[in-house]
Amino acid sequence: MAEHAVDVRREIVIDAGVDVVWDIVADAARQAEWFPGMVSSQVDDGIRIIVTAVGGVLVEEILDVDHHARCFEYSITGPMHLDHHRGRITVMEAPDGARVVYEQELQPKALVYVLDAAIGDALEGLRDLVMDGRTSRSFVAADVRPDGQPMGEGG
Amino acid sequence: MGRGILFVTTDQQRYDALGCNGGAIARTPVIDGLAASGIRYERAHPQNVVCMPSRATMLTGQHVRNHGVWMNGVPLPADAPTVAGLLHDAGWRTGLFGKAHFEPLLDPFLRFPANRMGLTGDTDEAGRAHRGFEHMEFAGHGSAGPNHYGGWLRKNQPDHMGSFFPALGIDLEVNSEGGGESGAPQVRHNPVPRESYHTDWVADRAIKWLDGLDLDDDWFCWLSFPDPHHPWDPPTSELHRVPWRDLDLPEGYPEVASEREAAIDAKAAHWRHWYDGTLVTNYEAPPRWVPATLTTDQVREVNAMAHIQNELIDEALGRVLGALEADGRGNGTDVVFTTDHGEFQGDHGFLFKGPFHVDSLMRLPLVWRPAPSRAVQPSVVQEPVGLLDLAPTFCRIAGLPVPEWMDGEPLPTSPADAAAQGRQRVLTEWDSVHPGGAEVHLQTITRDGLVCTRYEPGTCQDGTEGELWDLAEDPLQLVNLWDDPAQRSLRDDLVGDLVEALPERPRTPLVLEAPV
Repeated sequence: MAEHAVDVRREIVIDAGVDVVWDIVADAARQAEWFPGMVSSQVDDGIRIIVTAVGGVLVEEILDVDHHARCFEYSITGPMHLDHHRGRITVMEAPDGARVVYEQELQPKALVYVLDAAIGDALEGLRDLVMDGRTSRSFVAADVRPDGQPMGEGG
Repeated sequence: MGRGILFVTTDQQRYDALGCNGGAIARTPVIDGLAASGIRYERAHPQNVVCMPSRATMLTGQHVRNHGVWMNGVPLPADAPTVAGLLHDAGWRTGLFGKAHFEPLLDPFLRFPANRMGLTGDTDEAGRAHRGFEHMEFAGHGSAGPNHYGGWLRKNQPDHMGSFFPALGIDLEVNSEGGGESGAPQVRHNPVPRESYHTDWVADRAIKWLDGLDLDDDWFCWLSFPDPHHPWDPPTSELHRVPWRDLDLPEGYPEVASEREAAIDAKAAHWRHWYDGTLVTNYEAPPRWVPATLTTDQVREVNAMAHIQNELIDEALGRVLGALEADGRGNGTDVVFTTDHGEFQGDHGFLFKGPFHVDSLMRLPLVWRPAPSRAVQPSVVQEPVGLLDLAPTFCRIAGLPVPEWMDGEPLPTSPADAAAQGRQRVLTEWDSVHPGGAEVHLQTITRDGLVCTRYEPGTCQDGTEGELWDLAEDPLQLVNLWDDPAQRSLRDDLVGDLVEALPERPRTPLVLEAPV
């Protein structure tokens, strides 16, 4: 994360134990449960396949799951082409619970605003899952297969 | 028999696209006929030259600063008041067919209700009207994205899902690839059958909805064609209409490079930076395409494609009007035709759009054909009007009071009416903050045959720059009078008027949630 500036940063404090929150964040296959707009998140051999609510696909390489620092790091590697991407979720002790910081770096910057808004939703989704056991609106536990639908349209 | 308002919009269409406005290439007899029997506006401007802010203005009747949608990617607040909502509450049936774009289109996580409706095929928002429309069926510029047209195409013409030019590239930036026969950006020969192209689909869906209404219903139908916005990929079967090699270059395209570049250098600095490919100011044009590389063949081919798209729109509109005539509703139907903003289409050496307040992007086609039953005299209005006047016009047609939250006022029906209203000026503004790119802020007043733009400080401007065009003496906007000492007092007067007339910016700007 040092070579590139952070483009997107959101954080939230969840009134729960830091290990409770970290256990969910660290389980890469559970991301769709708390990230609104993700239908599924399947992990195989360090690669996570995300299917989004519009049927789009994100292929992500899980770079590091540091249980000591409670830091999860990943990179979007396809099918859309990004010259650079890093995502990092860090869970920290806070006086009133667990502080979760979600950061992303990306180049080119077309998705900056999309990701900024989406990870804001995601942190709220994480809080809902931790506090109330509510999964995100698009999550389905089925074996969803991507159909190649593009992510959206130009205007 | 009920009353009807047919509100017809295109996307990114030039003033001179229509025969009634002097266009000599595309045949647009339907719209020309509406103009001949109605009111044609010679100086209609948008309040912003990209889709979302402009469409929000059409829907609310408000300046950009009041509805808050300051750039593409800023969603219109869900509780924003709309003219469709007023009509719906007054008992009018309300429908929208085609491109809405009140919420961002690039929405991979399906955060916005309109995109959820488009994906599921729902025509309302969980049983409720969406932004005042009881029935909506969306189309975009091709097969991509969560919209009803894409779903229909997937079901009915699955082999043509890949026939359209992909507006976005694999990096989700606007696609810079070229095509056609000239290699022009965003051009493709599209084998989709004409009857399955989105222009005809939009008309088909509107006709079906109109057919389902009771003849006594009052109705408001927004027929919103996605064309002739890029990509320029009309059905290949229609390319015979305008052979691109036969076209003259547009009058606004200086063919000699030195003359073209001198005119660009007379404008604010970001014009030249974009031309040379050294600065990306906004998301709406392909970032890897360099305008300086534009060839005369590419200008011709892009123009031909747009003319073809405009002919298809005219014919599709003719079908909708024909359906209304056939069941007797035509006589009680007001028709308003316009677009959200213009397109360079070669003018000044550019394609697409951006923070450039010249006639290519600001002078719009606008025609209002009042219901024949009201026997309004045909007219041509020269005085400046804006898209913010549309919503108040719809209120007046419906017999509803124009609410205080609307900034515009009903369109004048004649020059005398315009004089009585005291029509003098129309305002247009732009604010953009491009991620990793430039920040540009400009505001424009059009008054007394002059177009005056001031720039606030940004990446390329320190706040002293501007443009002043005399439309009568310099219709192609080549000679910038901003720094002419002889024009200084006039310029100061225009800027003073602009500052006084523009609303205050909101204290807390709405959040940009997508690039488009």
